[in-house]
Amino acid sequence: MAIVYELIRQGKKDLHLVTNPGGPENDILIGAGCVKICETNYIGHEVLGHPYCFRRFYEKGGLAKTGYLHDDWTVQTGALRVLAGAMGIPFMPTKSLRGTDIINLEYDLLASIRGENKKLPRKKVELYTDPFWEEGEVVLVPAIKPDVAILHVQVAGEGGTGRIYGGPFLDYYAAMAAKMTILSAEYVTAEEHLRGQPELNTIPAEIVDVVVEIPYGAHPTPVAGLYDVDAEFFNEYIAASKDETTFQKWLQEWVLDLPDHFAYLEKLGIRRLLSLRADPFLGYNPGVKRRRS
Amino acid sequence: MPKLHYTPREAMAVAASRLIKNGETVIVGTGLPLVAAILAKHTHASDAILIMEAGPYDGYPLALPSCVADPRGFWRVPLICDPVQLMGQFLQKGRINVGLLGGAQVDKYGNINSTCIGDYRNPQVRLEGSGGASDIAALAQRTYIIIAHEKRRLVERVDYLTSPGWRCYRYQDREFIKREELGLRGGPEAVITTMGIMKFHEETKEMYVAEYYADLGITLEMIKENTGFAIDVSQAIPSAPPTEEELQVLRTIVDPEKIYMN
Repeated sequence: MAIVYELIRQGKKDLHLVTNPGGPENDILIGAGCVKICETNYIGHEVLGHPYCFRRFYEKGGLAKTGYLHDDWTVQTGALRVLAGAMGIPFMPTKSLRGTDIINLEYDLLASIRGENKKLPRKKVELYTDPFWEEGEVVLVPAIKPDVAILHVQVAGEGGTGRIYGGPFLDYYAAMAAKMTILSAEYVTAEEHLRGQPELNTIPAEIVDVVVEIPYGAHPTPVAGLYDVDAEFFNEYIAASKDETTFQKWLQEWVLDLPDHFAYLEKLGIRRLLSLRADPFLGYNPGVKRRRS
Repeated sequence: MPKLHYTPREAMAVAASRLIKNGETVIVGTGLPLVAAILAKHTHASDAILIMEAGPYDGYPLALPSCVADPRGFWRVPLICDPVQLMGQFLQKGRINVGLLGGAQVDKYGNINSTCIGDYRNPQVRLEGSGGASDIAALAQRTYIIIAHEKRRLVERVDYLTSPGWRCYRYQDREFIKREELGLRGGPEAVITTMGIMKFHEETKEMYVAEYYADLGITLEMIKENTGFAIDVSQAIPSAPPTEEELQVLRTIVDPEKIYMN
């Protein structure tokens, strides 16, 4: 989230975001007016609440008013798309999507800008019949070819080797698919230290372009083994995000008025940050409250 | 023996958990599906293999995960996978026996909507999106849908077809055709609600009432009144209520913080 806040501070606009799925990074970037296009399978906060910025930009005339463009996918197809990008091939086949409105041509919100926008595939999907095994119809989903992948891991080597504890999600594929990868880490160490257990390393240094140490860089989301979710922060932000005015006020207070990440951490305070620390044997903090307010 | 007190939400969680057979591989998203799956593991299905699309394979979490990426889900799993493996391989290859799904709307053919209420280009409510639900609905060996029983939720046709049921759209011409004509695997076998368990007619594939929570005072009239289409109640029988053990486990072990059971 630290990098997300900084993108907002730097006034980045017209971002073309791809997430699989998306959470607060998606909702806040949209709410801050930074996003032109988002391709994703989900934007939300799960049990903690709804993504009100996303909703405001979409529902009840939101799309027409803001010009925001959304492209719906699924977890599997989003994963296969970034896999295709990582493999340097134009598409992957899937047995998912058939029957749904996700591939309804009438609902392709990006249709009018495909072709003209070189970062988008010419069509959303293509249907194809298996020529090899008579397995019938499959859907071809186009590769994702990011300009930039932004990842946050527990440990990185100075040269860019990335080590992930817990779930790797699609980080490796995103880094491989992207032209440039920004790797932020809770701790940056000497490369030699990561050679003792190479099986724990997920991101090869050569595909990483920038390494930056950002302790508590994922706050308010958890980092496995280090700190848990800050539900109280989520509750406040989500409540503020319900309304444009209160959201802008929240954004001003928590992002725009703070010069940098350390100011953000200082504002949160030592007591709060330390209260999120994970039990080293559980990987999370069994004492944190996780109900939505 | 004093009568057990429990809520319709608890009845729903217990009814869903009973549908998981021991030893089955189950894929779940967060929410009631996860609660039902963990309850099953603690009661009759201790050998069931729980999978969450974000990575944990064969999880048996100590504390209830509040999102698919929650570190709680990864506690002491034998294997951590990624979505390419779990959704692109396990699920797609047919190794998932059961998918448990939620949603905002379900129609009489078991199609689920978790995308928008109203028109896609200008909805009344924009919802979170499919997540992995659409893939699971298409590719699991069978699915169960868990949803509160309300007229605005159980509808004639969903506003947007996110996850395919028994009748869905052919891409080429938008014809509303049978699932098997599309070559999809499995299908929704039941819809578990806060009033009972619905299933789908063998031939018409339309939803009907199979069981209802008579013990809670639910009546077939109530079900008809709270369903957004004409639903057949002629085959409905009273549901076996939750046992004291199931409720005890649900309340004290599965979701003591009342994250989902509130």
